[in-house]
Amino acid sequence: MSRNLNLTINGKMYEFTVGDRLGQIPENETLVDTLRDRLGLTGTKRSCGQGACGCCTVIIDGKAVASCLTLTVECEGKKITTIEGLADPVTGELDPIQKAFNEHNAFQCGFCTPGIIMSTKALLDANPNPTEEELKEALSGNYCRCISHYQVIEAVKSII
Amino acid sequence: MKKFEHLNAKSFSEAGKAIRSYRNARPSAGGTDLVGTMRAGILENNPDAIINLKTIPDSAYIRDEGNAVAIGALTTLDDIDRSELIRKDAKAVGEAARSVASSLIRNAATIGGNICQDVRCWYYRYPDEIGGRLTCLRKGGDLCYAIQGRNQFHSACGGMKSGTHRCTAHCPASTDISAYMQEIRNGNWDAAARIIMQANPMPSLTSRVCPHNCQNVCNQNEYGDSVSIHSVERALGDYIMKNSDRFYVSPEKETGKKVAIIGGGPSGLAAAYNLRKVGHSVTVYEKMPEAGGVLMYGIPEYRLPKHYVRSLVKAIEGMGVEFKLETEVGKDIDLKTIKADSDALLLNTGAWKQPILGLEGEELTVFGLNFLVEVKAFMNRQIDKNVLVVGGGNVAMDVALTAMRLGAHNVTLACLEQRHEMPAIPEEINRALEEGLVMHNGWGLGKVVTDDKGKVIGLDAKRCTSVFDEKGRFNPVYDEEDRHFFPAESIILATGQKVDIDYLGEQFKEKIASARGLVEVDETKATREPGVYAGGDLASGPALAIEAIRDGVIAARSISRELGVKIDRKYKGPRFFKPDVEEIENRVGRTELDTPVAERTLEKEDTVTLSMAEAEKEARRCMSCGCYAVNASDLSPVLVALDAEIRTTDRVIEAETFFSELDASDVLSVGELITEIYVPKMKDYRTGYMKLRWRETIDFAVTSLAYAIKEDEGVIKDARLVAGGVAPIPLRLCEVESFIEGKLMTPELAEEAAELAVATYGHPLKESGYKLQTMKSQLVKALAG
Ligand SMILES: Cc1cc2nc3c(=O)[nH]c(=O)nc-3n(C[C@H](O)[C@H](O)[C@H](O)COP(=O)(O)OP(=O)(O)OC[C@H]3O[C@@H](n4cnc5c(N)ncnc54)[C@H](O)[C@@H]3O)c2cc1C
Ligand code: SF4
Ligand code: SF4
Ligand code: FES
Ligand code: FES
Repeated sequence: MSRNLNLTINGKMYEFTVGDRLGQIPENETLVDTLRDRLGLTGTKRSCGQGACGCCTVIIDGKAVASCLTLTVECEGKKITTIEGLADPVTGELDPIQKAFNEHNAFQCGFCTPGIIMSTKALLDANPNPTEEELKEALSGNYCRCISHYQVIEAVKSII
Repeated sequence: MKKFEHLNAKSFSEAGKAIRSYRNARPSAGGTDLVGTMRAGILENNPDAIINLKTIPDSAYIRDEGNAVAIGALTTLDDIDRSELIRKDAKAVGEAARSVASSLIRNAATIGGNICQDVRCWYYRYPDEIGGRLTCLRKGGDLCYAIQGRNQFHSACGGMKSGTHRCTAHCPASTDISAYMQEIRNGNWDAAARIIMQANPMPSLTSRVCPHNCQNVCNQNEYGDSVSIHSVERALGDYIMKNSDRFYVSPEKETGKKVAIIGGGPSGLAAAYNLRKVGHSVTVYEKMPEAGGVLMYGIPEYRLPKHYVRSLVKAIEGMGVEFKLETEVGKDIDLKTIKADSDALLLNTGAWKQPILGLEGEELTVFGLNFLVEVKAFMNRQIDKNVLVVGGGNVAMDVALTAMRLGAHNVTLACLEQRHEMPAIPEEINRALEEGLVMHNGWGLGKVVTDDKGKVIGLDAKRCTSVFDEKGRFNPVYDEEDRHFFPAESIILATGQKVDIDYLGEQFKEKIASARGLVEVDETKATREPGVYAGGDLASGPALAIEAIRDGVIAARSISRELGVKIDRKYKGPRFFKPDVEEIENRVGRTELDTPVAERTLEKEDTVTLSMAEAEKEARRCMSCGCYAVNASDLSPVLVALDAEIRTTDRVIEAETFFSELDASDVLSVGELITEIYVPKMKDYRTGYMKLRWRETIDFAVTSLAYAIKEDEGVIKDARLVAGGVAPIPLRLCEVESFIEGKLMTPELAEEAAELAVATYGHPLKESGYKLQTMKSQLVKALAG
């Protein structure tokens, strides 16, 4: 019998089985691939695949992690939040962080932005009033090719 | 990422068991290293199963244990960074954890995974999808790309052995070549001698006769000339013989055990040396008037002057080995008598017999080995004008060269093999061609042709279309139609020698012979008869001198073990390899000076040994093939500095021991898992971790320093200083520690201590020298407080 794999993603329960058949999650699938290719949650970006850029950041049980280095089969029972899970599911209203990013133009091409927002979200959930040092430390794993970091810091500071 | 099976473990013991049940299973903790390596496909041997440790209950914790802090292996670096207990009682561990990567990684990465992480060398990590992974030395390949490549992030304190060096692997006796090369380039000839003599007690002889496979595979061939290993070996061999009183010494005490060795060739001599060294009483029975076997009688003087063989025999005799010469066992004395009189018996009688090929007119030919023995005895011999030598090996080359130098007008050589397949040493083939040998490849024996008076006029040969079958076995195929007539007045057959075991006597022969007519031995060289060992050609069939020597050494070890005395390899060679980074880029090797063709004779050695100074230079061309990547873990230097313990499912390992090998897998056995890191609080110590990196985050340490220093009013009472990023393992600076202990710390002393660290440990590659400067400033800062 195939092993079950239950994930809660953005508040929704997903029941998978582990295996190689169509529709099953193979053991060697990483979370970023499950999110993007299987569930169509393409807000999470795939980039370096090595934990170095932060574009694939999602929140698992409250911690920001690189989904490219996370095996989906090892997420049994976990609560996963992606960028798609931030806006209010009923009203569609954006999360305050997203709004702040918009207001401060805290992005250019936007490729890194979902990852940065997820890292910010994890930080503020745990520590609503971080110092600038703590903020920088929390975002230090997120890289931006377009040098949006300055606006990012301003955006986040505007809501803390 | 390639497929694998996956299991969520419920306990460490279950995980260990699961791992052992697969071919190549790997535990996964945070997965931040493991998944990255699998994703990039950097390893050839992809795991077939991943065993998840995160599901093991109570495996992530930070506990106060009184004098120590215990950290569960699955604790994340983020939790360590945030722990009050760590901040208070294991501050340096927290500093190191916080310095790792970014919070994204630290949120998942565990301490157990951190200290087992794979190496970060950019050649090693080269992703498979861009032109294919690089199989460097550390991955089981041949060459370290960093030694002569880009190496600014590599070691600044030398490399370390990873697997077996290519040269050593191809030496039948497994001589630790790079180890003696390093000693020689540092001028430590005695140390070099001790290293080589553990594998081979007669380098002055082997260096002259060995086909040196080591050199053919030397990694310097990738760039230019190989290291001229045999030339350095020869200089070392000659050095050893010049100082033989130091290297062939009588044992300090006698064991009272008696070993008899039948046959005084290379195998017998190697065994005699090793057995005598540890105090056994050894008697060598030799049929010929002098010991040395093939080295004495087969190999011509110009290639191996006999005085070298004689001095070796004399040196071994000087150790107290007794030689009974001109004593043919089976004729002058029988084996039973010898056996009854000894505690162990070693047979090494070689392969001297002429094989019967069944060729028409075979009785009119000359047996190559006999020809050489005769020439050796008289240094001259009537030689016909036109000589045909048959055979493609070293004996054939020796015969051909000897015949030419005796004055034969035309010497022709015919052999089955094509040039590149010939077993003879290429240098010897060249030498013979230089001196006028005419070589015909791809011909086999048809029949001897005579005139009507029965006198030899030549050989009728048939075409050999292939020598080896698909499996590489000797299995010649002929075209009987394609014939060639080689005119010659004398035909010398150098087509192999046979082993003769008749002297053993019927009863004994039956007991120990193999189906092939050799003596059958196991890997310890023991025969089926208790207390009787055999080696060399007698057990293997005709082979190289160095193979016979290896057998002799192995047999000596086995015999001595049986007699209750262990012979161990005491000299391990240097811990860190320190190549000469300028000289390794010299593409031209130095080899012996050769005599011009016109001046070569039968009596005088053709070549002249390199001077010691030249040999030292050539030894500098040895790259010391090892791994030069640095240990990437930030936690590792701290755990060594704090004298932590790595607790596993099986045992407790001191951090210093755990990090003394390149890879955790060299220390942990398969399925052995780290369960806990146990960190002493080091209450009276000032501890810390410093890390220099290019960017504030993500980057690995360029250099780092972990320290634990105990002071009393400025005087250093105790210090543990461990440098990271500068060596393949966290480098404990013991010399510096003892230098500062008991002294009052001042800025000047700190400076001096840092200088000492650089002088003692520093050995940068071309681009990694700056690391010594940063190591120095970190040390000064740490010491000055
Ligand atoms: C972008 C990036 C930057 C980094 N920078 C740094 C840095 O600056 N400094 C630094 O020190 N490291 C750095 N690292 C390495 C990082 O620290 C390691 O990847 C991490 O600590 C490994 O922990 P893990 O739990 O994820 O191990 P895994 O990836 O799960 O495992 C690593 C290895 O350890 C084995 N293993 C895991 N747990 C155990 C156990 N309990 N017993 C036996 N074997 C075990 C695994 O089989 C595997 O071989 C960096 C990594 C990345 C991706
Ligand atoms: S330094 Fe080590 S890991 Fe890097 S190429 Fe050389 S052998 Fe391979
Ligand atoms: S360079 Fe030195 S260590 Fe490397 S293969 Fe050649 S002789 Fe051996
Ligand atoms: S894609 Fe995951 S960190 Fe870059
Ligand atoms: S906005 Fe373009 S990469 Fe960050």
